[in-house]
Amino acid sequence: MSLVPMLDVHAITKIVPTQEGDLEILRPISLLINAGESVAITGASGSGKSTLLGILAGLDTPTAGQVYLHGHCLTALDEEGRAQVRAGNVGFIFQSFQLLPGLTALENVMLPLELHGNKQAKTLAMNFLTHVGLESRMQHYPPQLSGGEQQRVAIARAFASQPKILFADEPTGNLDSHTGNKIIDLLFALNREQGTTLVLITHEERLAARCERRIELAAGAIVTSEGI
Amino acid sequence: MLAAKLLIRHWRSGELKLLSLSLILAVTVLSAIAIFTNRLHATLLIQSNAVLGADTVISGSHPRAAHWQIEAAEAGIKTTESVQFSSVVYAGDAMQLASIKAVAEGYPLRGTFELSDQPFALQAGDIQAVQGIPARGEVWVDSRLFTALQLTLGAKLAVGDAELRVAHLVIREPDGLNPLSAFGARVVMNALDLPQTQVLQPGSEVNYRWLLAHDDPQKLGAFVQHLKPQLDPHQKIITVDNAQERLGNTLETANKFLLLTAVIAVLLAGVAIAIAAKQFADRHANSVALMKSLGASAARVRLLYGVQLLLLGSTASGIGLACGSLIQAAVVSALQMAYQQPFVGASLQPFVLSFMSGILCLIGFALPALWFLPQVPPLKILRQSLMLSRPQLWVQGLCAALAVLGLVVVFSGDWRLAGVVTLALLLVLALALLAAFGLLKLCQRWLANAGGVWRLALASLHKKSNHSAMQILVFAIAMMLLLTMSILRNSLIDEWKLQIPKNAPNHYLINIPATDAPVLQQQLAQGLGQNSVLMPNVRGRLVTINNVEPSEATRAKENALQRELNLTWSTTLPASNTLVKGQWWTIWQRSAADVAGVSVEEGVAKNLGLQLGDTLRFSIGGLTLTAEIASVRQLNWQSMQLNYFFIFEPGVLDAYSPTYMSSIHLEASNKAFLYQVLREHPSILLLEFERILNSIQVIMDQVAQGVQLVLYLTLLGGALVLWAAVMSSLDTRKQEAGLLRALGAGRRLIQGSVLIEFALMGFLAGLVAILGAECLIFGLQKWVFKIPVQPHLVYWLIAPACGGLGVALLGYFGCRPILTTPPIIVLREAA
Ligand SMILES: Nc1ncnc2c1ncn2[C@@H]1O[C@H](COP(=O)(O)OP(=O)(O)OP(=O)(O)O)[C@@H](O)[C@H]1O
Ligand SMILES: [Mg+2]
Repeated sequence: MSLVPMLDVHAITKIVPTQEGDLEILRPISLLINAGESVAITGASGSGKSTLLGILAGLDTPTAGQVYLHGHCLTALDEEGRAQVRAGNVGFIFQSFQLLPGLTALENVMLPLELHGNKQAKTLAMNFLTHVGLESRMQHYPPQLSGGEQQRVAIARAFASQPKILFADEPTGNLDSHTGNKIIDLLFALNREQGTTLVLITHEERLAARCERRIELAAGAIVTSEGI
Repeated sequence: MLAAKLLIRHWRSGELKLLSLSLILAVTVLSAIAIFTNRLHATLLIQSNAVLGADTVISGSHPRAAHWQIEAAEAGIKTTESVQFSSVVYAGDAMQLASIKAVAEGYPLRGTFELSDQPFALQAGDIQAVQGIPARGEVWVDSRLFTALQLTLGAKLAVGDAELRVAHLVIREPDGLNPLSAFGARVVMNALDLPQTQVLQPGSEVNYRWLLAHDDPQKLGAFVQHLKPQLDPHQKIITVDNAQERLGNTLETANKFLLLTAVIAVLLAGVAIAIAAKQFADRHANSVALMKSLGASAARVRLLYGVQLLLLGSTASGIGLACGSLIQAAVVSALQMAYQQPFVGASLQPFVLSFMSGILCLIGFALPALWFLPQVPPLKILRQSLMLSRPQLWVQGLCAALAVLGLVVVFSGDWRLAGVVTLALLLVLALALLAAFGLLKLCQRWLANAGGVWRLALASLHKKSNHSAMQILVFAIAMMLLLTMSILRNSLIDEWKLQIPKNAPNHYLINIPATDAPVLQQQLAQGLGQNSVLMPNVRGRLVTINNVEPSEATRAKENALQRELNLTWSTTLPASNTLVKGQWWTIWQRSAADVAGVSVEEGVAKNLGLQLGDTLRFSIGGLTLTAEIASVRQLNWQSMQLNYFFIFEPGVLDAYSPTYMSSIHLEASNKAFLYQVLREHPSILLLEFERILNSIQVIMDQVAQGVQLVLYLTLLGGALVLWAAVMSSLDTRKQEAGLLRALGAGRRLIQGSVLIEFALMGFLAGLVAILGAECLIFGLQKWVFKIPVQPHLVYWLIAPACGGLGVALLGYFGCRPILTTPPIIVLREAA
């Protein structure tokens, strides 16, 4: 395990201007996540979970503070620089799956690999799809798949590019508890196999309990942080 | 190549269908029209050049410079020459004044001689088209000379010192007699025999004509431009354009119309492209956010989509080009069958232009809608509600306008047309947008208290107020352009029909001796049942104006000063003339009792600065005649009647031994009768204009066919736009309908509300459309086509009615999938 922490966050805040004055979504937050860890972010709706995740993944910028992702200072980079850091380091899984409707399951999984110029995109993608049990649905378009199947495609897509850190925003939020459980099993199985760092937002106790650490947010601040 | 792979994937999934279809349609229409007009133009030019015998003629009173021939050969231009002069020819003791044309090898460069072995041959079987010229020692003569001199085939004809053998009769010839300068009957001889005749002496009046032709008009044009500064004042350039202005005008109008239709078709397709591009952009905003979250930079995304767009553009343009060439080939072959006239092949230019314009369409119509895509922030993937900064509507409108402007300029080289079209369109669009919003508001107020289905339909319209206005606008644009095209087409074709009156004269009788005139007039009246006017005719020059000789500059400006004019007198104002200034003879106040009056044509009067009361002196056969300007007349040059620049008071020209001229309208069945009459009057010269008239008619028909085809293609474009507009709203509609059904709304209710919503939009669009169409037509007729404007009241009823019905049906069928599928599937697909 490398000595550089996967995520090192120093006193980040997020303030957005609104018509009724500035709104403080995140109060100063600091945290450290080591490589290979799995961390659950929990909290009530509107507590700032998605905002925090966006900043951690370099999709958004904090109003103040610094974020280091695998040693790269995200907050010192512009969007192009952050894109470069994300490329190959970061993977995502979303509540609403976010598969491209115009691409088949296989092509959806191939997309990040192809973006990184991977020559074995197709074989790799097929392997991962088989791994998530969708070998017979590779040529299907997302609307033809059930929610659980779509999320499995999304998981295959996330792991196929072998990211160092995976961000998931309520990956089971749109699924029934049975399907949700299967998805969680799959997620953790792949996480163990590849040693990926996992940061996931959830309000499901079962899911949070399976993570090594849990960070609970309330009104934009950390209220409990287990396992530091 | 990732871009190519992505393009193929997007294509397979069907999301590019609308975009590529619209683009293909745009290029199909443009290329079909561009190639067709290119070929039509070239063909017509060849056809009309057949009348001239060449593409361009340099005509002068002395031979061309010797080195021009070498330069022409270097430029790859085909040349030949003819020498024309009048001389008396003899057969035995009989003699006749003849207009002799000595032609060199290769004459004519365009068209052919039509020969016969019988005088006045009419039957096609007796007439033969012949490539080539009389052999040395031989002449071809026209029917009149043949009968006047009682010649037989093989007889000897003396031209000056040369004895030439009569080989054939000329029935028709290229570069025929000019009705206004012709003397004597026609003799065609080989130029190599010319020296032997010894007729051409220094000082004799001779017309040297150097004929030029090249298959590439631009090359020829360049050469002629190069010659221009070297010409002396006695040499002039003759082309079909100035030889047959009428035909030229018609062609130009037709060209403009075809072009306009093409632009409108492209515009329609352009609207469809823009809608499709917007839909594409909406769908891909998420894709871009996802790709960016996976580490793709904005530049990468721009490149990916740019290459896809370019690939799509070139493929669709290629396919469109292929379809366009096929369509025009089909039309041309149908025309060739119908008119028995071969078409010339197209040059490369329209192909290249059409292909490029496909790309231009994409840039002008699609790119603005897609421009923001690379800027979509990656955060969008986490936060769907994130607002994207899209380009303003006016930016898109501006880009589209520039594209249209570019297209018109590229295809017509006509800035004026381009400007009028683009400005008018923008103006009309702005008006239409206002009207669409206004009408929508009005409707909402009126129907506010309605219930049930109406409430649902209105709620739907209201909720998407902006979107509905845009849809109405799109419907209105499509309908407006279609209306404009069909109304304009009708009035243009009517206008063309008017240009050549049905009973326009198609034959001219010249050189009628005064002694024959009364008899001939009686014969014509009996045989043809029409009263022919015989105009007296005397040839003379205008020498002074108010006792001053016109300056060299004025002389150069006014053609009438450079040559002998046909002068006439008349008791009454001729039918096709209108008086614009002064008085006709009966009430004219002359300045002195012994002064004669003359009436002058408006154009000449303007060019020479002539006023009422000015005195003009003419030189007629060595004598002089002074006259005072009594009136100014306007002529209708389209009437095909004999027209005169100067008309004198009756009797003034009696002393100058006039001959007479007449123009008559002759049906083909009366031709034999006319020839019979002419045998009794051997010195009368007959000019047959029917061939030119017929070819004009054929051209009009061909153009009308072309216009028809283009209209169909435009209709297709319109349908595509309407379809695109309905389809683009389908995504949201699916969701709504699914929700409504899930909430228990019956199929009837949803169906009814969809029908009413679309019917209302169609009705409003129809109103906006006819309003816009009237404005557009007004501008086009007034400033581009220059034909009279009138309102089209019926269309004010037809347009909204058809709009409402048509759009309702379209909406109903377009939305049927969301009515017939179970709500759960509708929801899943929309999610
Ligand atoms: N750009 C913005 N402008 C204004 N308010 C914002 C903006 N972004 C986020 N918010 C607000 O900040 C708060 C936190 O949002 P966030 O999406 O992070 O919550 P969350 O914890 O993910 O909630 P949920 O569990 O419902 O997804 C919310 O009240 C949200 O409305
Ligand atoms: Mg959230």
